Amino acid sequence: MTAPTMTDRTGLTGWLQRRRGVLITAALLVAFPFIISIVVDGQGLAAVWSNEQGNARFLQGLAIEVFILALYALSYDLILGVTGLLSFGHAMFFAVGAYVVLIAALLQAFLFAIVLPRVKGITFALVTLGFASVFWIVIQSSDLQEWAGAEIGLQGVEAPVWFLDTTNHRFAFYLVSLAILLGVFVLYQRIIDAPAGKVFASIRENEDRSLMLGYNTFWFKLMVLVVASITAALAGAMHTMHQPIVTPNVASLAFTVTALLIILIGGVGTLTGALVGAAVYRLLQFYLDRWYGAASELLIGLAYVLLVLYLPYGIVGTWRARSLRIKEGRDRLLQMVTGASKETSSPEE
Amino acid sequence: MTTDTKPAPETMSKQARRAEWLRENRTRLSVIAALVFILLAALMGLEPEDRFATIMQGLSVGALTFLVASGLSLIFGLMDVLNLAHGEIFMLGAYVGWTIYTRFDTALDVAVPLLLVAAPFTLMPLWRRLAEKIRQLDVNWHGALWVVALAVAYVAWFLVFARSRADAPDSGASGFVITIVTLVFATGLAALLWRWRHHRSVGETAGEMKLTAWSFFIVGLGAAVVAVTKFPLVIWDAEDFAKSPSNFSVQIDLGQLAPLPPDTFGWPTLMAFAVLLAGGALIALGLSCFRTHAGELIALTGRHWAAFGGMLAAAMVLHLGKVSINEWIFGLSTTWRFFLAMAVATGVGAAVGAFIEVVLIRPLYDRPIYQLMITLGVGFILIELVREVWGRPEFTMARPAAFNGTGEGCPGEGLGGFFSGCSTVEVFGSRLRVYNEGFIVLVGILVLIGVTLLLKRTRIGMVIRAGVQDPEMVQALGINVRRVFTLVFAMGSGLAALGGVLAAPSIGLSTGMGAVFLLGAIVALAVGGLTSFPGAAAGAVLVGLLQQIIIRYGQTGISVPFLDEPFKPSPTVVPAAAILLMVVVLLVLPSGLFGRSER
Repeated sequence: MTAPTMTDRTGLTGWLQRRRGVLITAALLVAFPFIISIVVDGQGLAAVWSNEQGNARFLQGLAIEVFILALYALSYDLILGVTGLLSFGHAMFFAVGAYVVLIAALLQAFLFAIVLPRVKGITFALVTLGFASVFWIVIQSSDLQEWAGAEIGLQGVEAPVWFLDTTNHRFAFYLVSLAILLGVFVLYQRIIDAPAGKVFASIRENEDRSLMLGYNTFWFKLMVLVVASITAALAGAMHTMHQPIVTPNVASLAFTVTALLIILIGGVGTLTGALVGAAVYRLLQFYLDRWYGAASELLIGLAYVLLVLYLPYGIVGTWRARSLRIKEGRDRLLQMVTGASKETSSPEE
Repeated sequence: MTTDTKPAPETMSKQARRAEWLRENRTRLSVIAALVFILLAALMGLEPEDRFATIMQGLSVGALTFLVASGLSLIFGLMDVLNLAHGEIFMLGAYVGWTIYTRFDTALDVAVPLLLVAAPFTLMPLWRRLAEKIRQLDVNWHGALWVVALAVAYVAWFLVFARSRADAPDSGASGFVITIVTLVFATGLAALLWRWRHHRSVGETAGEMKLTAWSFFIVGLGAAVVAVTKFPLVIWDAEDFAKSPSNFSVQIDLGQLAPLPPDTFGWPTLMAFAVLLAGGALIALGLSCFRTHAGELIALTGRHWAAFGGMLAAAMVLHLGKVSINEWIFGLSTTWRFFLAMAVATGVGAAVGAFIEVVLIRPLYDRPIYQLMITLGVGFILIELVREVWGRPEFTMARPAAFNGTGEGCPGEGLGGFFSGCSTVEVFGSRLRVYNEGFIVLVGILVLIGVTLLLKRTRIGMVIRAGVQDPEMVQALGINVRRVFTLVFAMGSGLAALGGVLAAPSIGLSTGMGAVFLLGAIVALAVGGLTSFPGAAAGAVLVGLLQQIIIRYGQTGISVPFLDEPFKPSPTVVPAAAILLMVVVLLVLPSGLFGRSER
């Protein structure tokens, strides 16, 4: 078989080829609970479907949290990384999805999206911060106790359909959330590859210039905000399905910062970074919490500051920027280990 | 629109100019008029005896908000950084002030190690010179340093974290963690050795020097941490203290908890002093090794040595005279202790602010969005640090004696009653608290006057005002703008910390107090105009008044049309009203009530 060129990248096979990273990831993640079940728990394949207690079930729960966070961070990356709008109110979109239903989220997205594209820069950040704070304050107030449960939040939300029931059909929920995440990821990649995506990037780089070129940036910003807020609300709704208790903290500024941290870890504006960052963040948080208890938040804060200072492009961004040099280093290492192929040595000598 | 045909201002008649001004500020004026109308209407709706009290309470909250907002406004105006850690500096000020006020002995215990670590920094020219010598060294020396540094870091980590974790009952993972971290360290060691062996040419030392700098830094930090945690320098147990500082204080005062025996100049103390000094010296040396170019080498004069000797002597005096100093301080009246707490907290706030600006904000001036993000991270770190040191429970601070009098002749009558030493006073038929509605408002007004005078009447104020307009131009005129940045950051942080101490006796201490006031200050800033200092003051007063009026209405209820019962907002939703005000004002007037309009 010849190496793939640009010409055979059309049609279904071409699509599969271009998306092979996503497909391989999907296959690995679908197989993951089965592998854990067999290797670690020593249970059979059927144990995964029949929802047996064990490592496989626990890790599925953790993975679902990663998927939800990734979906949420992905939508934030579209706003901040791709379009360059610094929003401090993204947690509100998530929380609306978590507290209310998706329809309300749609309505809200349009409502705020009419307001938000009109302001820019620091004013945009402040207005979003304002909206989110109001929402946060209102849902924890005692005035809405009957509906939002004040400080405690929502408890014991019933799953509407069997495949959204995380306690009894966890593997089904795992598959559903994985499918949603990867579907949205592919959709987002398609969006930023499309002409509209180029306009988003041009808004980030220089809004005045894209206005001058004839793009009505208002509508493009509106589009980004609506798409991102619906995605975040979807993540929020999944969060409600997955967690036994939804606390008001999902609407706080700290939760927006979580999204910021995730895409900083992964790489701002890369989309893939949101997925990698969510996995790294959640696992890091889980294990630091287990080992260091209360000090873990301090460690995460320190990691955040160090990331901003020393690794501003995140894991994926740095990987992309240095992939040539990393490949070079890998070749040199292989050479050293095998001691062979001196004639194709690195260009340095 | 009509800008092309507009005649120059000097050719217009006075009337025409006024009409022009009115037309330009149409929206602004109508928004101000609407706000004034709403406030007046709301005040008129209150009971007459509540009216004055509400205004004064609003001014009190406004004064605290102003102390946070003033620094925020200056910092944002001058360097375009919205410092989201400002609320946490406010909180830090409250905690530091509480410690000075309530438990001066613990603060004194911390001061000695801090002084010892800071003392070597006065000899900076010496370290710069030494760093230049190190730069010339053979690579073998560098390599040896790296290995030593890694080993010391590992031992310090093991002594401080791993051992204490292993004692904890829930230590299932700790053996695993120790293995993992040991492996990481071993890998790092191997990598360093590899780099040492395979360094390419003698001339290429930039990378070498960076690793060496880190080595010094790590060894110094590790030594200081081990010295503080492993040698008995303090008379109080840090673990007990962090569980709940207020409980700790009460138990000590009741004699239920014995302080550790006070130490003398035994071997451990002397060793701790030596290690702390050495640690400080190594940190200073490491920092000077980070410089990529030699720069100007200043001569080491007698003044440097005098400063160094002075700090050493101060540390010795504080350590030896610990008992008598404590007795003297606790013998003072609480009013004097409160003023001392205000001064120290302001100083600590300013120092923390300067540190944040120099170390974290300065490298990021070419990446503005990252500055915002890093202040956010610093805020979270400050909260967690305060939780580590002072614990999570909320606690209160007693009011100083001058504002806490009761009994004969109390409450005071009229305006003179504010100086009667009573805790409350009756003015115009409303009962006010002297501390909250008198002292806090007074300090707020004094700070407003002081900062305004500083801005309008001094040279540095002129530089700041010019910098708000155009920092590049100021730099071009030969003024070191970076130094002014640091100064303003320190000043703003100091004012925020002062606000924290002032707020502590009236609202108590909690790690969430910063976020509340930061939100208020941001609202004040946005409403008043982001870069306008008087605007920040006006916005802060507006926010305070609005909140207090709504709290008042929450008690009586607002009769809303088409509703049977009056609507009673609970106190938790009060901040929401101010934020809604901000959103509305920003959407109508993006540059705020008093800000310059952009373009």
